[in-house]
Amino acid sequence: MNIILILVIAFIAGIQYVDSYGPQIFTMNYMIYAVIVGLIMGDPMTGLVVGASIQLMSLGVAALGGSSAPNYGMAAIIATALTISTGQDASVGLAVGVAAGTLGVELDVIVKVLNGFVARKSEEYCKRKEFAKMENILYLGPIMFFLAAAVPTFIVLVFGETVTNFIVNSMPLWFTNGLTIACNMLPVIGMGMLLTYMPTKKYFGFVAIGFVLAAYVGLDVLPVAIIGCAVAYEYYKRSIASANTVAVEGGIGEDE
Amino acid sequence: MSERQPVLTRKDLNRCGRRWCLNVATFNYETQLGASAMFAESKALRKIYPDDDDYQKSLLNQFKYYNTQPYISNLLLSAGLAMEDKESLDALDAVQSLKVGLMGPLAGIGDSIFWVLLPTIFGSLAGYMGQNGNPVGLIIWTALYAVFWLWRLTWWNYGYKLGVDFISNMGAQLNAFTEAASILGLFVVGAMIPSTVVVTTGLSFTYGEVSLALQTDVLDTIFPCMLPALVTWLVYTLLKRGVKMTYIIIGILIISCIGAATGILA
Repeated sequence: MNIILILVIAFIAGIQYVDSYGPQIFTMNYMIYAVIVGLIMGDPMTGLVVGASIQLMSLGVAALGGSSAPNYGMAAIIATALTISTGQDASVGLAVGVAAGTLGVELDVIVKVLNGFVARKSEEYCKRKEFAKMENILYLGPIMFFLAAAVPTFIVLVFGETVTNFIVNSMPLWFTNGLTIACNMLPVIGMGMLLTYMPTKKYFGFVAIGFVLAAYVGLDVLPVAIIGCAVAYEYYKRSIASANTVAVEGGIGEDE
Repeated sequence: MSERQPVLTRKDLNRCGRRWCLNVATFNYETQLGASAMFAESKALRKIYPDDDDYQKSLLNQFKYYNTQPYISNLLLSAGLAMEDKESLDALDAVQSLKVGLMGPLAGIGDSIFWVLLPTIFGSLAGYMGQNGNPVGLIIWTALYAVFWLWRLTWWNYGYKLGVDFISNMGAQLNAFTEAASILGLFVVGAMIPSTVVVTTGLSFTYGEVSLALQTDVLDTIFPCMLPALVTWLVYTLLKRGVKMTYIIIGILIISCIGAATGILA
């Protein structure tokens, strides 16, 4: 990869991170960035397939309430760029991408600590009635997040091709096979996270039904989602109805 | 008390919506989204408070600790802004208690719908189609979200108009909806485990001439996708016990390499 291409890709990685924290136009849509990188490098199809793998790995992993999650957008962008430029099997690019994205968590925390100084400075300007400065200093936040994705992407891509080829050519078979197995297994993290956010204990039966429909009956996710919609709708109707009954009864009971 | 004529127009509110795009980008561990809330409202507040001292008082109120799900936040902040537009500085305490009182419950609803449920459903559809080289799922997701974003920019108008009562009631009404949405989510997660999580064993037993592959001849016939189900249960239990995600990822990498070397995993 030449240096200009790397700079462009690093720029996209920065934009991706700023969007994920700022406007959130493409909330948690990491595939779109992989496809864009693929388009730039002349192979959108690889971008689509590699991006899809990262997307499936990331399902359910959300940075709720200001917590930090791996930077999957950066992972998708790096994995796509390395897979296309080296022409190697996608699993190695994915492994490098996921490793970089996981380390991205540390930078995320650092930026959020630095943002503390920025916010305090802004408040100080407010107390001094320097209102223009008060607003402008806040742009440091998105700038720092931009750098937190663009700089590591740049570094990884400058060395990544050599590293990736080195891994593929000199590593023992068990290591490269192990990476493939790990890439297939990693979506389990997202599934586990999803189950922890949701009332899994309360409604375990529905997880079981969804699983059986897919594993035994062989249905795709979409038909199962439609069945799920039907059940959820019935539940919603019933709980609204019962809430109204309770409200009416309560109203009569409290009649003064 | 000083009842006054509201000054904010649709244009001002849309401007707040655009400025709220700064959003989580100023997130810090002390006041969280406080600075972004100030940034979003500052131009509108300037219009309400021509006097520098009043303006400063209101701004310092906005700087205080604040955090909720950003989409829902459009409605909550604009409801507060409506109060300030009507009663100016007299409303400051009420605005603050509105924000503090509702940011928790609204974050719970917003997080589970906008940050967990929708990205999971769209992401899994786009992901599966994409793995097979089909971009349709991705195109639909991207287009819908672009439109959704443009619509969100105007949400400050709703919060401003519908006002405080509506926002307070919404929490209760949305509870049933959230519960129903989690039922749908659990169906989808159950269905996704067999297709997203791929774990197979390469072990086989040979008795003289007969060879028996553990995966295809034994496990698949009794309980298809038994290993993915087991691994999911294991990771879920670890996460519930507070094991860090990074450690689990590293653990999976190590176990995969050992499995590949010994032939237990394939």
